Amino acid sequence: MIFLNAVLSQQHAPEKLPAAVRAALGKPLRRAATLTQLALVGALACLPKERRHLPTALLWQSTSGPRLETLTLLEEVCHGSAEPMPYDFLASQPAIAAAQIQPFLPGLQSATHFPLDTENEANWSLLLTLASNWLNEGRYAQVLCAHLDSWAESTSAHWLALGSTALENAPANLHIRTMNYSAALPDTPDFPAALAHWLTQPSSRLLHLQSSATPRLAVEFAQI
Amino acid sequence: MTRPVYIASSGLICARGDSPAKVSQALWAGECTSGKRQLGEREFPYFSLPLSEADWLTRAEQAVTHVAAQLGPRDAETPLFLASSSFQIGHFEEQGAPFELPIATASFSRRIAEWMHLSGPRYSFSNACTSGFSAIDAARSLIAAGQLDEAIVVGIELANRSTLAGFAAMELLSRTHCQPFDAKRDGLVLGEAVAAVRLSAKPATWRITGLCTGLDAYSTTGPDPQGGPIAKVAVDCLKEAKINPADIELVKLQAAGSPGTDLAEANALRQIFGNTLPPLLSLKPYLGHTLGASGIAELVTLLACLTLDQIPTTAGFKKVDPEIALFPMVDRSNAHIQRALLNLIGFGGGLASMIIERRT
Repeated sequence: MIFLNAVLSQQHAPEKLPAAVRAALGKPLRRAATLTQLALVGALACLPKERRHLPTALLWQSTSGPRLETLTLLEEVCHGSAEPMPYDFLASQPAIAAAQIQPFLPGLQSATHFPLDTENEANWSLLLTLASNWLNEGRYAQVLCAHLDSWAESTSAHWLALGSTALENAPANLHIRTMNYSAALPDTPDFPAALAHWLTQPSSRLLHLQSSATPRLAVEFAQI
Repeated sequence: MTRPVYIASSGLICARGDSPAKVSQALWAGECTSGKRQLGEREFPYFSLPLSEADWLTRAEQAVTHVAAQLGPRDAETPLFLASSSFQIGHFEEQGAPFELPIATASFSRRIAEWMHLSGPRYSFSNACTSGFSAIDAARSLIAAGQLDEAIVVGIELANRSTLAGFAAMELLSRTHCQPFDAKRDGLVLGEAVAAVRLSAKPATWRITGLCTGLDAYSTTGPDPQGGPIAKVAVDCLKEAKINPADIELVKLQAAGSPGTDLAEANALRQIFGNTLPPLLSLKPYLGHTLGASGIAELVTLLACLTLDQIPTTAGFKKVDPEIALFPMVDRSNAHIQRALLNLIGFGGGLASMIIERRT
């Protein structure tokens, strides 16, 4: 049985994100790109302290990617008089986030970044299916799935924390179904917000998530 | 895992040739020359694709369609898993300011799917040098669980100045050539590649029996020199494959000629294998380090070599580094390899190991 242990959506104004990081860590996080800061704040909010040492995977998708950092890098490479600043190149590489997060989440064993190719579409169904498979295999004790975006004037973060054991307030469990559900919710970046709404005001006992690209694969949530 | 997952077919274009067979022939013949790329006043060795000059997108399309044709017949609905660390940044460089980045960062994946005539789901992976194995890991998981029957996994890394300049700015590039495990190694040499594998639940010659990913948070730019995290991932992979270190007959190294990363990998290998190491092979002196494509490009290359029982030497290795104290293969071999371990050590702390096994 796979449990949904946390559902979380966060929005931070870019200029206020460092303060949120300081509040979460008790100190600033130096030289961390915006997506890294978002990932850290959200991951710590999803996992209580006593679970941060457990074997954990982080699967995070992004529509924006490190957009602002990439623009800075392009500007330096194409119009700068010298080579780019090393930090600007590092900040354009989203895979680096995991190494900066692990000291605060010692159980983090693996992180995968899924850049998205279409606006308003997401890969939640893939992330949750992989998380479910890996939890069933015992590969990890918990998997954090996220959608993180960083734009010039806003950031957004949506999180689902899954575990092979239920936390005290786990709101739902989930199953992977290989069939089509006509009333399924679409796979969009803010799916966790819709899931949170269903959890507080359920219109039915079950909720399904299905990507239009994968008619044979759906994620079924059942309230506990 | 419930179903075994096989590598049903493959495709490749890289500096050594435009098919797996041509690449393996080139390696057997010891061809390892590289070209050059200019960056300001500096010049770096670089492994370019054997394609005629054209604009960036046209060149990308040539490479992708060429590799797609090698995969054989496939259902248009087959899911595409795409790995890259730079996607189409070379195109943006070519277009110049104002840089018009699309809203969705991996929009290039849609174009690649169109070039490959694939209309099914697309999933993109960007985990620096371990991107390819991350993509294979995901596809394999879905196939093993019965949620997919087939998947196409593509690794693509094409020339761009941003990556070259970024690595150059951090002083990680060699100015001479790639020398894995060598006493005089002085950095990595970048290259281009497009590579693909078709994974299937249907039995084929090669099976993936283990694949594990991990994380080394020692530094964002290099692994723990003791190699502990690298060893742990490989040991986890051996456990998944239910085999002992002694069952591994060949290791395809990450070894790119980086002073720090090569040492960490060597220390990890001693922890895994003790004093009885299997033959060690690095393919990067032939292909360059193709970053997000490297996992798949080196897997396809290795399979082509192993299928012919023609294992090349590790070009570029001349003098053992006393600190590393390991010798990669210096003589060609016709050994019939049953099981091989493939290592990836990624920029940013990503780690991955895979075990492939020949079906008898």
